Amino acid sequence: MILKRTIPLLIVFAIGVLAFVQEFVPHPWSGKLVDEISTWFKIIGGFAMFLGTYSLLHMHLARIRRKMPSWGYSVFVFIGAAFMIGTGVYNEIQSSSQPAGPNSPFDWFSWGYKYIQVPAGATIFSILAFFMASAAFRTFRARNLAAGLLLISAIIVMLGRVPISEPLSRWLFFGNSQAITQATDIIMEYPNMVAKRGILLGIALGTISQSIRILLGVERSYMGGGD
Amino acid sequence: MALRIPIAISKGIIRFLTKHPRQVIYVLIGVTVIASYMVNISLSFEPSPLAQKVYDKVDSLKPGDHVLLSFDYDPSSEAELQPMALAMLRHCFKKGVIPVVMTHWISGLDLHKMACQEAAADANSHYNKKIVSGRDYVFLGNRPGWQQLILQMNENIRAAFDKDFFDQPTEGMKALEGVTSLKDFELIVNLAAGATVEMWIAYGSDKVDVPFAAGTTAVSAPDLYPWIQSRQLIGFLGGLRGAADYEVMLKYPGRGIRGMPAQSATHVLIVLLILGANVHMFAGRFFGKKKE
Amino acid sequence: MPDDLQLQPRRKGQAIEMGVLALLIVVFLAVSMVFQKPFSQHSFGDTMKAVGTIMAAGITLIMYSFLYRDNPLFKIAENLYVGIALGYSTIFAWRQALKPEVYQPIFAAPTSDALLTALMHRTVPILLGLMLVMRLSRKHGWLSRYAYAVIIGWGAGIAIPLITHSYILKQLHAAVAPLQAAPGPQAAGAEVLSQAWLLHVAAPIFGAAVLVLGTVAVLFYFFFSVEHKGVGGAVSKVGIWFLMVSFGASFGYTVMGRLSLLIGRVQFLLDEWLKIPSQ
Repeated sequence: MILKRTIPLLIVFAIGVLAFVQEFVPHPWSGKLVDEISTWFKIIGGFAMFLGTYSLLHMHLARIRRKMPSWGYSVFVFIGAAFMIGTGVYNEIQSSSQPAGPNSPFDWFSWGYKYIQVPAGATIFSILAFFMASAAFRTFRARNLAAGLLLISAIIVMLGRVPISEPLSRWLFFGNSQAITQATDIIMEYPNMVAKRGILLGIALGTISQSIRILLGVERSYMGGGD
Repeated sequence: MALRIPIAISKGIIRFLTKHPRQVIYVLIGVTVIASYMVNISLSFEPSPLAQKVYDKVDSLKPGDHVLLSFDYDPSSEAELQPMALAMLRHCFKKGVIPVVMTHWISGLDLHKMACQEAAADANSHYNKKIVSGRDYVFLGNRPGWQQLILQMNENIRAAFDKDFFDQPTEGMKALEGVTSLKDFELIVNLAAGATVEMWIAYGSDKVDVPFAAGTTAVSAPDLYPWIQSRQLIGFLGGLRGAADYEVMLKYPGRGIRGMPAQSATHVLIVLLILGANVHMFAGRFFGKKKE
Repeated sequence: MPDDLQLQPRRKGQAIEMGVLALLIVVFLAVSMVFQKPFSQHSFGDTMKAVGTIMAAGITLIMYSFLYRDNPLFKIAENLYVGIALGYSTIFAWRQALKPEVYQPIFAAPTSDALLTALMHRTVPILLGLMLVMRLSRKHGWLSRYAYAVIIGWGAGIAIPLITHSYILKQLHAAVAPLQAAPGPQAAGAEVLSQAWLLHVAAPIFGAAVLVLGTVAVLFYFFFSVEHKGVGGAVSKVGIWFLMVSFGASFGYTVMGRLSLLIGRVQFLLDEWLKIPSQ
């Protein structure tokens, strides 16, 4: 219990207080400490990335082994990972034996990134444009004052942030081409800014209280389950 | 008799529209984007004041000044932020300012490398420059650590990045001459798809007191206004419109300006859809009350 | 009704779908061959660029097939993307983290002094990294708590002063600063209720009041320890109005953001795949 719980909690407290105190110390040792801890973070972060890779591959391997529903698709995860890891390792070996130049072998690793990862990643999120338009049409109704305010401000901002706001404004507001843009700016700089600041202050207070709870050992979810 | 067929067709269309609204909207959105992109009606527009501030700050720098560009995005936000990255890099190369590029997002590394190389090639052809990596710009790549990396850069940038992305040592690198830490930069810019802007402010620019600007996806743009009002951010570029604003000011058209007709058309379409649905709801309520 | 008759419409629908899919694939390949000409390029690099563009266009269109319905091609593309992204991150985890911070300083140290220095500074974090990986073991998983203790402890400790300074103190100062702002030079000598007075004196004061009162109202809305009744209820309601306007603005920007991503894909399909010259 001491090794599994008490000592880690003591480490959290000690390191946390050290981090807090060094922030107020102008002595050079404070900078050296930050430098040292940053190197620690880089190394631990590198191991953490491999942990993430292993976890995901292990999950898909379990799906294949247990023949879970749609397990066949998990094979493609391994195909993709094997392609990138294989070409990446090949690149590493090539670059260590010969410098980059016109006779360098074809860069399959960057090819895979540019022509598979980029289009796939970009397209998956662009599908949301369709869902959002459909959802807005089906559910966006001014049923009460609050919803009405939301609707009006959304419409003004949607029109105000595109170039068509100027000809549209000229047509709707007797030649004033900046009316919609100015209304958008007022919405963004006053009610929007105020609300975002309120949310920001709430987040900040929450972060600080959570940090204090972590340092005092009240919050221990990061340690994982089981003692 | 002659009207029976058109009425029947109209009823069929309305029945289809009410039975399959989702599919109709998907097709409308798709057709609107493609058609407006192909037709490409040029719409002139004034850059926003906040984008103007970012541009003016970079424009005020002298040749040899250093700008830290933190490109914190990946392919999922490439459409909005890559045009911004290209525009800012072109501006830096045009002015002779040295961009020092890094990222916290490992999944975007090749995108950022491509941005540096493409902007360098554009500067060579457009501005008659001879941009060389390591001398006129440096792409540092990524190191893990997030906030901790920024804190280390506050102290010693060469300790944070002992080599650049292309494995060249940063010690003695011409592009980093005169730069020891973040304090030696004239400007820090973060192009962010996530919450890195706030992280850079709290752990970076506020600590070293260096002017800080941002470029974000449109989704994150409303969150930045408190930072503008508190002057912790000098300005920002929001979404594809922000990229278009920068291209207009730089007088170098790119994907930002090219996307504006489609952006305008689809926004108008969505506004009309929402207004139409609300008119339908209010009409239903009004006529429903009348019947009672 | 006999089972085979019930199955027939479904089989017929699937057959039509498969037929349409096959036709679309043929059309896609034909169009790609015409516009990209992958086998008429002069170098291997150009051929692979053409093949890559065709592949990227295919993946884009397969992803958009999800709008029709979830289908095996989409699932294949999705899982392939996950694998590719995973492999990419793994390679760079080595190249950008472990190689420069662990491998090169220790296994490729130029001198014995450099090796000693590296071991002095890196032994503890390497041990912590290895303990972190122990998370995967049920028996020894508790060892990872030491690595987490260092990371979380330092992160929490350093967050307190920096978040307090940047997020709270500076933001609170900015929230009340407009009240202290003096009227600009344009306000000098302006007559009360004149246009200049309204624009340069009344408007800034009104704006400042909106900022301060609005911030208080929004913060009060999130304060759930006090019941929102009476005056408190009215203040909370004002806070809700500000929040609603803000959410509307956020929705507007979200629409802009999502459509920009779609425009980006259309740009790729029209400019790079189909090579349609822009007007």
